Amino acid sequence: MLARRLALALATALTLTAVPLGPTGAADPPDIVIGSVIPLTGSLAQSGAGLRVAQLLAQDLVNGHVSYPLPMVGKSGLPHLGHARIRLVFADSQGKPDQARAAAEQLITQDHVVALIGCYSSSTTATASQVAERYGVPFLNPDSSAPSLTTRGLKWFFRTTPSDATFADNFFQFFGDLKRTKKIVVKKIAIVGEDGLFGSGAGDAEEALAKKYGYPVVSRIAYTATTTEVNAEVQKVKAAAPDVIMMASYLPDALLFMRGFKDQSVQPQAIMAQDAGFIDPNFVRTEGKDAEGIFTREVFSLDIKHRNHAVPLINQLFELRFSGKPLDGNTARDFMGVLVLADAIDRAASTAPEAIRTALQKTNIPGNLTLMPWKNIQFDANGQNQGGSGIIEQIQDGKYETVWPFDVAVSEPIWPMPVWKH
Amino acid sequence: MEALTTFAQLLVGGVLTGLVFALVAVGLTLVYGVMDVVNFAHGEFLMLAMYATLGLALLGLGPLLGLPLVVIAMFLFGIVVYRVFVRRLLSGPPEATVFGTFGLLVLMQGLAQAIFSSDFLSAPNPPFSGTLRFAGLAVSQASVVEGCGALILTALLFAFVEYTETGRAMRAVAEDRIAATLMGIDVQRINGLAFGIGAACVGAAGALLMLSYPVYPTAGVPFALTAFVVVALGGFGSISGALVGALLVGLLEVFGGFYLSPELKLVPVYLAYLIVVLLRPQGLLGRR
Amino acid sequence: MKPHLIALGAIVAAGLAAAFGVRDAVALDLVFTLLLYAVLGQSWNWISGYAGNISFGHAIFFGCGAYASALMVTHGLSPWLAIPAGALAAAALAIVTGFPTLALRGHYFSIATIAVAAIVDALVRTQPALGRATGFELPIATGWAALQFADKGPYIVLALALFAAVQVATIALERSRLGYYLRALRANHAAAAAVGIDERSWKLLAFAWSAVIASCAGVLYAQYTLFVDPPSTIALGISIDIALVGVVGGIGTLWGPAVGALVYVVLAKGVALELGGSGKGYDLVIYGAIICVIAALRPHGIVGSIVDGLRRRRGALDLGAAATGGAA
Repeated sequence: MLARRLALALATALTLTAVPLGPTGAADPPDIVIGSVIPLTGSLAQSGAGLRVAQLLAQDLVNGHVSYPLPMVGKSGLPHLGHARIRLVFADSQGKPDQARAAAEQLITQDHVVALIGCYSSSTTATASQVAERYGVPFLNPDSSAPSLTTRGLKWFFRTTPSDATFADNFFQFFGDLKRTKKIVVKKIAIVGEDGLFGSGAGDAEEALAKKYGYPVVSRIAYTATTTEVNAEVQKVKAAAPDVIMMASYLPDALLFMRGFKDQSVQPQAIMAQDAGFIDPNFVRTEGKDAEGIFTREVFSLDIKHRNHAVPLINQLFELRFSGKPLDGNTARDFMGVLVLADAIDRAASTAPEAIRTALQKTNIPGNLTLMPWKNIQFDANGQNQGGSGIIEQIQDGKYETVWPFDVAVSEPIWPMPVWKH
Repeated sequence: MEALTTFAQLLVGGVLTGLVFALVAVGLTLVYGVMDVVNFAHGEFLMLAMYATLGLALLGLGPLLGLPLVVIAMFLFGIVVYRVFVRRLLSGPPEATVFGTFGLLVLMQGLAQAIFSSDFLSAPNPPFSGTLRFAGLAVSQASVVEGCGALILTALLFAFVEYTETGRAMRAVAEDRIAATLMGIDVQRINGLAFGIGAACVGAAGALLMLSYPVYPTAGVPFALTAFVVVALGGFGSISGALVGALLVGLLEVFGGFYLSPELKLVPVYLAYLIVVLLRPQGLLGRR
Repeated sequence: MKPHLIALGAIVAAGLAAAFGVRDAVALDLVFTLLLYAVLGQSWNWISGYAGNISFGHAIFFGCGAYASALMVTHGLSPWLAIPAGALAAAALAIVTGFPTLALRGHYFSIATIAVAAIVDALVRTQPALGRATGFELPIATGWAALQFADKGPYIVLALALFAAVQVATIALERSRLGYYLRALRANHAAAAAVGIDERSWKLLAFAWSAVIASCAGVLYAQYTLFVDPPSTIALGISIDIALVGVVGGIGTLWGPAVGALVYVVLAKGVALELGGSGKGYDLVIYGAIICVIAALRPHGIVGSIVDGLRRRRGALDLGAAATGGAA
């Protein structure tokens, strides 16, 4: 109890010192206004709430005095702009593409933001970034994974997060590493995913890479996420007898498939999931022992704390502001997104759009100065960060343990997955 | 031999799927039969029953123990909704019931999101999570329980409508409201009871479905959509029609998913509906 | 007819003033959305109100226009071609799907529209040529040839033109033979059939026209939002939004859809702005409650109730005149 109180006091003190107190000078430079388009209402509102908290935390740390091994933190604003403070202004996308468009336009024309950050769901990012392109405003996307976002030839669009193509590639790198270090051979792949943007994007990326690396795809199944049964889907997978099943599902369908695989004794060597339903807290709670051995790609894990000791500290600050919920892949990426923008604006030493854009293009942040398991942050000609990568976790004893890449792993992967217990 | 086993497995799966749809559809068709109202908020009643079941489960009452409580609660809820709201809709133009119940759909989804958030919720370690094996086939225990529940519910409802006095009164109102009034039947009371029983049926459905599905504000939508098609296919107002329609839909969906494609598995279902109502506008077993 | 045309003129004038006078992008966006939904609501009104067959799948026609736009532009053709192309596709879809279903009674038809919409949605999601789930992003361009503008003004002018055209068309519908037959069919199917009114043909005509109108709105939407995918154009939720606009305003009335669109926009945006940020769905609660109240107390919708009130007063005046034996 006492330890908790002390920790709370310490964290509160840290947070308070992160926010500048009192007047900072005779003539304060005007705030640097950054627009954020995220889903604050609608079905994605839960996620949006967390993103907002993460972005505001980053804003406060940039404006504060306490430094961490993270870019732009603790310098009391942007040094090259007279320690001007950054200020986030939010507009609600409601999770809809046309609303995101309107929100972006509002931020640009009314709030005169120097840059935009957003928008979580890929379809909303698409329209909001198009507005930014038309107005010539830099747009930083920290959290949308549809590969198509960086193949549009846009000049003003920058994305820090890896795309589904990279995440799919992670699976195959994992297989390669398994072969090299443990002589495990994976051949036949089955790809199962819901038929919306998430599932089809992930599935397309996986299928293309499987072809590239020479793994036969023995079954590719798309289903509608709201389906109430998966009898046919399970039978088709069973008939294909894959070594590995790659899944992109939300929670209800993930549960249906797990039940179906168990009942029908579909026993692959491994099930590799693309996040979403498989990392929902209810997944392990409902599946219990049946969830053991499931792999999922993840974007972030507190396990990488040995790469950057800021990870648990930022996590603590975040938990304080967000009812005790820890940082996750989305909030960590959004937190970093604000820092990347601040870094670029500072290097530009200007609020002119073209200057910020040029500065963004020259971004080069080493991975261990981020919260992410990334090599670095460096944008290619399409605005895509080339240094990004995911990690792979496995459910062991009801917990998600990082098992790949091997240099950040905290546990050995269990292969093959345990036999279904009947 | 493989193909035969697969076929048999799909057949069983289709039947069990159909029974789940019947479970949801039976209450809908009763309400329509008696008062000519399609409750477009039917899916939200299902969702409410699921949340209620979850609540009881978190208090320690497993889904099957909580079921009678949920059924009673939903029955009362149905009667209240009828008295306060649906009755007024009935005195307006025919569109009023359609849009009134749609308004109820929006309202209930909004309330669910406001109160429970849009997170997926489910009880930890649900019962009947095992597998049942027979004759070389496998089915989940939960589906069998749901299927039995559907058959029992349909049988009970059928018996009620056929053999009890209230049931007979309901059939009378369904057939001719004015004549029923002349015979001394209190139509408002019968309507209320029918709505309540319809809600109770979907309450039972919700309690059983919690064995296999998490609940969230729009959880009822896919079930309700299928239920509408099932009821229309079987014939609005016919309980046996709902059962037959549901089994047909279940089999079409599962076989369609395997022999056609999982993405298009609802297409045969909807096509079948369009064909049936083109040839037989009152549905398979409907009356008018 | 005169008061309606005057009102229409006033609205167009106000809209033009806004288009060229107002600079606030947010306000202009609301005006555009309002006009778009007024047009969609009116197109829905033709089949569900005037013809009496309530549709819950109207978004597919909206989608015809939106997808036509996306396909034209991504294939290097002019988006203006999307107007006839989308209209043709929408009319064809309406006729093909309306032929077997328009003779169905009440709820059977409504559920048929859901079935058709679901089939269309499934097909779009599986066809690579139609973008599957990813949909299409329209590349940025500017100018009348590209039907895309940096400013909102021209979009609002186009929306106003579409709205005015649709309102005039609806006035014409009410006074036309089609309108007359539809009213007869709504009043009494059997009697109408007895005098030789072919229900199916006349309703198909209304349905096809309603589809064409929705498709035009779809083209404008695509050129404005620059993004087309199944959830934002043909999903069930969009169909429900369109239907609710028509109902709240007053089904089967000339101004119902416009009023319904006003309520929708004010409510959806207004509530989201005020109560937004918590992700709690309060806007849905209020919207749902309003619809319930209207359905229970004013089932003919806002405009419908006003029309009823006017009719009753006129009726009372006539009765009074009859009682006193002379014109009032």
